[in-house]
Amino acid sequence: MNTIIQNILVFSALGLALLFLVRKYIWSPKKKSTKACGGDDGCGCH
Amino acid sequence: MSKQINVALIGNPNTGKTSVFNALTGLNQKVGNYPGITVEKKEGICKLPRGVKAHIIDLPGTYSLNASSLDENVVIELLLNKNDKDYPDLAVVVSDVENLKRNLLLFTQIKDLKIPTILVINMSDRMAYKGISLDIDYLEQELKTKIALISTRKNKGINELKELITHYKELSTEPCLDASSIDESYFENLRKAFPNQLLYKLWLVITQDVNFGKTDRKTYDAVEDFKTKSKTDLKRLQQKETIKRYQFINETLKKGQTIDLNSAKDLRIKLDRILTHKVWGYLIFGAILLTIFQAIYDWSSIPMDFIDSSFASLSEWTKNTLPEGAFTNLLAEGIISGLGGIVIFIPQIAFLFLFISILEESGYMSRVVFLMDRIMRRFGLSGKSVVPLISGTACAIPAIMATRNIESWKERLITILVTPFTTCSARLPVYLIIIALVIPEGRILGLSYQALTLMLLYLIGFGAAVGSAWILNKILKIKSKSFFVVEMPNYKLPLFKNVALTVLEKTKAFVFGAGKIILAISIVLWFLASYGPGDNFNNADTIVTEQYASENLTEDELHQKIESHKLEHSFIGIAGHAIEPAIRPLGYDWKIGIAIVSSFAAREVFVGTLATIYSVGSDEEETIKNRMAGEVNPILGGPLFNFASGISLLLFYAFAMQCMSTLAVVKKETNSWKWPMYQLVIMSGFAYIVALVAYQVLK
Ligand SMILES: Nc1nc2c(ncn2[C@@H]2O[C@H](COP(=O)(O)OP(=O)(O)OP(=O)(O)O)[C@@H](O)[C@H]2O)c(=O)[nH]1
Ligand SMILES: [Mg+2]
Repeated sequence: MNTIIQNILVFSALGLALLFLVRKYIWSPKKKSTKACGGDDGCGCH
Repeated sequence: MSKQINVALIGNPNTGKTSVFNALTGLNQKVGNYPGITVEKKEGICKLPRGVKAHIIDLPGTYSLNASSLDENVVIELLLNKNDKDYPDLAVVVSDVENLKRNLLLFTQIKDLKIPTILVINMSDRMAYKGISLDIDYLEQELKTKIALISTRKNKGINELKELITHYKELSTEPCLDASSIDESYFENLRKAFPNQLLYKLWLVITQDVNFGKTDRKTYDAVEDFKTKSKTDLKRLQQKETIKRYQFINETLKKGQTIDLNSAKDLRIKLDRILTHKVWGYLIFGAILLTIFQAIYDWSSIPMDFIDSSFASLSEWTKNTLPEGAFTNLLAEGIISGLGGIVIFIPQIAFLFLFISILEESGYMSRVVFLMDRIMRRFGLSGKSVVPLISGTACAIPAIMATRNIESWKERLITILVTPFTTCSARLPVYLIIIALVIPEGRILGLSYQALTLMLLYLIGFGAAVGSAWILNKILKIKSKSFFVVEMPNYKLPLFKNVALTVLEKTKAFVFGAGKIILAISIVLWFLASYGPGDNFNNADTIVTEQYASENLTEDELHQKIESHKLEHSFIGIAGHAIEPAIRPLGYDWKIGIAIVSSFAAREVFVGTLATIYSVGSDEEETIKNRMAGEVNPILGGPLFNFASGISLLLFYAFAMQCMSTLAVVKKETNSWKWPMYQLVIMSGFAYIVALVAYQVLK
C-alpha cells in the first residue's frame, strides 16, 4: 500500500516537473504577455 | 466610478521619473543613478484626493522629442498618437533642479503639443547644497504651467503634486514657442495644407525618422509630401528650433533661477578629477573590485557552510523520519539536495547585488562607464555599450534589453552579441564552488588566491566581450554612425531603502527563478538516476554480490558497490557514458557531463545537478562541498576536481553560451534566429577549445 502511494507521488512529481520544463523551454500554449520586464515577470531572467 | 486620468511621466534620463512613479503608485520599479535604467513603459495606479484615480505611465528618459534611439521612440510614438489607449490626458515632465536648463528643452517641446503639462522639479533637497534658489511664481507664469517642487528622496511635495494632477483640467495649453517662427513660409504652407492639425505636431512627424507603425497612418502619409526640403535643410531647421527654445529658456531662467556659486560646495569636481583620472581612476576601480570580491568570500563563507550542512542534515532527517520508499528518496536525494545546490549561494548573490546596487546608487557606476568608454573606443564600441556590459554582471537578459538606447544598429547588435560573455550572477555559484575546491586558501597582501581567481574570471569575461566586439566590428559590414556623450550624474549617498529593495528583489528573482528550474530538473534527474533499463540495473544486487564474492567486503562496502553499479547503469548513467567521450579530454567524468548539459537550461543548475546525482543511493550525511571533494577520477584516480580539471571547467563556464533564456531574448531583440544560433555555436565551441587546451596543458 505504502509503496503504491509513494510511486504515485513520484510519478506525479515527475509529470509536473516535465510539464514545467516543456512549457518553459519548448512550447508554451499561451503567448507571453508583452508587458514590461523586470522583477518576476516571466521574461525569463533568473 | 469616474474616468481615470492618463498621466505620462516624461523627462530627461536620470531625473527621477521612476522615483516619482514609485512615490505616486507605491510600486517598486528599479531606480538607479545612471541614465537609461528604464527602457520600457511601466504602468501603475495612483489614488488621488476625492476618489479620483490616475493611471500613471513611467517612460524611458529622453533628451528631446527629436528621437535617436529605440527607447526614445517609445515616448514620441505615444505622444503623437491620439488613438493610443495610453495617450496622456496630462504630461508630467520630471526635471532635476541641478540641470533645469537642459531639462526645460523637452518641457517646452511637450508643452507645444498642447497636452496639459505639469512641470515637476525634483531633487529639491539638493538646492541648498548647490546654492540654487527658484522663483516658482515667476517660472509658472513664464512657462504657462503649474510647477511642483518636490524631493522624492525626502518625500516632500508629493501631495501637492497629487493635488495638481487632480486639477489638470485647469492647466493652460498655450505653447511656449510659436512653431511658425522656425520658418515662416514653410509653416504657412503646412498650415494651408492641414488646417485642422497642430503645426508643431506635423513638424515633428516630418522630421522624425521614427517608424510610425502604430500611429494613425492616414493623416501622416499625406505629410510625406511635405518632406520637400532636403534632409540637411530639415536638420538645419531642427537646430534652429533648438536654439530658439534655448533662447526662451535662458531668458526665463535668468530671472527665475539664481545660483549662488559661493555657497555651492563642489565636492563633485574634485572627486571626479580623481575617480576618472587616466591612472588613478583605473587603480581605484581595480581596488574597489578587489575589495568586493574579497568581501564576497570573507563574508559569505560562514553562512554558506551553515546552509550547506543544514541541507545535509535535513536530507538525512527526511530519510530517517518519513516511511521508506521511492518518494522519500526523491525528497531526500533529489529535491532537497538539488535545492540545497542553489540555496547555499544566497549569501554570495546577495552580497554581489548589494555591491552592484551601492555602486549604481552612489553614482560611481557612471564614472566606471566613463573609464570603460576610454578603453572601448579603441575596440570600436562606445560608452553606451558599457552600460549593458556592466549590468550584465547581474543578468544578461535585462542587459540585452538595455541596449535599446544605442542608436547605431551595428553597435547595438555587437553589444547584444558580446554581452553574454560578461560574468552574470548565474556563473557565480559555479565559480565559487570550483574555486573553493581547486584553488588553495593562502593569501598574498591580505588578498586570498581564491578572491583573486574570482576577479580574474570576471576580467576574462569582460576581456572576451571586448575582444569579440573588436573582431565583430571588423567583420560586420553595417554602416551606421554613433556618438556618445557620457553624462555624469551627481554623487549621492545610496538610499538604504533603494539598495535594500534592489538586493531583495534581485536575490528573490535569482532564487525563485533558478529554484523552479532546479526543482524540476532535480526531480527528472533523480528519476533518471534511480531507474534503469535491463538486467544490469535490475539485478545489480546479484551481479555485484557475485562479482565481489571472493573479496571480504563489509555490508556497507558491498552496499556502496551495488549503488554505484546501479547509478552507472541507470538511464542517466547510460546517457552520461554516451557523452563521456566528448568531455573526457577536458578532464571531466560523465556526471560533470550531465551537469554541463543541464546547465544549458540555466547555469546555476550545475551544482544542484551534481548534488542530486551524488546523493542518489548514498546514505551518509554529507555536504555538497565534501561530496564534490570526495569524487575520484574513474580513470586516473586522485580527486576528480583537481587544479587542471577545475581550471578547465571554470574557463568552460566563462565562455560557453549556456542560457536558453538569453538566447530567447536575443532572438526577440534581433528578430531572427540567426544571431542567437551564432552565439550558441561560436561561444560554446570556443569554450570547448579553451577548456580542452587548459586541461591538456595543466594536467
Ligand atoms: N537627491 C535626490 N536624489 C534623487 C531624488 N529622486 C531620485 N533621486 C535619485 O536619482 C537617481 C535616478 O532616479 P530614477 O528614478 O532611476 O530616474 P529616472 O528618471 O527614472 O531614470 P531613467 O529611467 O534612467 O531615465 C537615483 O539614484 C535616485 O535615487 C531626489 O528627490 N533627491
Ligand atoms: Mg526610470
